[in-house]
Amino acid sequence: MPDRSFRYPLRWHVMDALERGADILWPATFSRMTGWLLAAPAILLVGLLVLGLIQIGDASMHVLDTSTFRMSEAYTLANYADAFTSAVYFKVAWRSLLAAALTTALTLAFAFPYAYAMVRTRSATVRKALLIALFLPFFIGQVVRAYGWLIILGNNGIVNDMLGVVGVEPIRLLFNFPAVIFGLVQYMLPFGVLMLAPALTAIPEETEIAAGSLGASWPRAIWHVILPMARPGLIGAGIVVFTLSLTDFAMPAILGGGSQDFIANAIYDQFFRTADQGLGSALALMLVALGSLIVGAVFTLFGAGTLALGARK
Amino acid sequence: MISRSQRIVIWGLVWIALIALSAPTLVVIGASFTSGDIITFPPDGFSLKWYDRVARAGELRAAFFRSLWVATICTLVAMPVGTLAGIALSRYRLRFGNVVQVYLLLPFTIPLIGSGIGLMLVFGAWGALGNLWPIGVACAVINLPFIIWSVSSSAALLDPDLELAAANCGAGRVQTFFAVTLPAVMPGVITGSLLMFILAMNEFLVSLLLVDARTMTLPVQIYNSIRSIITPDLAAVSVVFIAVAAAAIALLDRLVGLEIFLKSK
Repeated sequence: MPDRSFRYPLRWHVMDALERGADILWPATFSRMTGWLLAAPAILLVGLLVLGLIQIGDASMHVLDTSTFRMSEAYTLANYADAFTSAVYFKVAWRSLLAAALTTALTLAFAFPYAYAMVRTRSATVRKALLIALFLPFFIGQVVRAYGWLIILGNNGIVNDMLGVVGVEPIRLLFNFPAVIFGLVQYMLPFGVLMLAPALTAIPEETEIAAGSLGASWPRAIWHVILPMARPGLIGAGIVVFTLSLTDFAMPAILGGGSQDFIANAIYDQFFRTADQGLGSALALMLVALGSLIVGAVFTLFGAGTLALGARK
Repeated sequence: MISRSQRIVIWGLVWIALIALSAPTLVVIGASFTSGDIITFPPDGFSLKWYDRVARAGELRAAFFRSLWVATICTLVAMPVGTLAGIALSRYRLRFGNVVQVYLLLPFTIPLIGSGIGLMLVFGAWGALGNLWPIGVACAVINLPFIIWSVSSSAALLDPDLELAAANCGAGRVQTFFAVTLPAVMPGVITGSLLMFILAMNEFLVSLLLVDARTMTLPVQIYNSIRSIITPDLAAVSVVFIAVAAAAIALLDRLVGLEIFLKSK
């Protein structure tokens, strides 16, 4: 005689209903496709970007009629021809590439010792302090940080006030190329360190000690042992920093004061100042192509580094 | 053994980086407490009047709440989508898995200005601009790899035998998912969601492209104001960002530990 006082808990009912529902909606025979089912929402969401690229591509093939301020009906490649032959855009593109290269080199030069010190320090407190100092600016956002630099470096800013105390004439520190580079390096440092640190964690400290006991000085141990072993991290960090600074908008706009435009600023101006969607779209698509080309080239030359998404062991 | 010269060189560079990283934050905090009408150094004395002014300034306050709402929408969209995708990428053998990976990295490989303008055209064509939700969705799209990353790296740590054991004990697929898989990836979900929230709160360029006067988010509002005159009320508003960031870091540290970012995969 079964015990009738036992009541099947509500949670079990709910779970049974869910399982039955799942069996109807997604029979176990479909289980080979379950991975795709789970990935589907993400694929759809990212599909918005693909739609956007298609829209940009379409807009880039219509020219602006300056008499009516409407986009032409006919498809043409005139915008691309304009962008390629224009000396202005050549200069802007060159400036962005140079700035991105400089920023990458400087950021890695500072991110490497930072990550190294953070990973190797024996003190948990120091490690936490270094991590917090890294995350705070990372979480604050570009605009607030650039605003801080305006207060520090402005004509009436802290640096010039202090120089004034010593009797030095104010120097124009802002709205030039070095100011933008400086802002970008500061902006990129957390990205660089966070991409490098896992690669450095993976290198056992014994390798360095071994190099030292075999007679290598510490700069040689770093150069010949640590740097080659950290290559995946360096590549990952380099790619991220390079592409983010190449396409940055805020730093050139705020710290460059309009005189140091990057490609992104030129694209923005085409859309919101000149209202020439066609030329702006052509420039945007060319920037996407340039960025993908660089990333693709580095991937094929050096491998994906630490950027691979599925952390399969 | 760490030699003296090595310590001096490494820590010298670290200190330069530390100063550069912290200077803007500290200066903004300092400037927000000035009692003067302009920002000077040394400050003109201590007062809270700029905070008072910000609390009364309807525009700044409205912009702050809009940013909070955008960040909430972004997190609500990204959390389920990113969690499922992270589990799919690390625990299921997908055919053409490499293609899916490259595709899901698109938000990182397409420059922000490109993504922003594309989304502006798409949402514009749908007549959705002028609302806040497109900005939240846009933030979810452009930062999606972050949450997929953090979820898939926790999912990779889960022993597949545990899921089989659950099934062996009679758990169905749904119960296995909720009782075994989901708790195991929770640290990744928390880290990823916090990142999505903070990044959406701070998102500037994509917001700039998608907002109009009625949907102005706080970073865009600050950007528009620093182009005219720099007054201390902006410093006071910026301190709000700093406080939110500090709270997020404290939360992250409590829940999963900041050291998780130092681990190698």
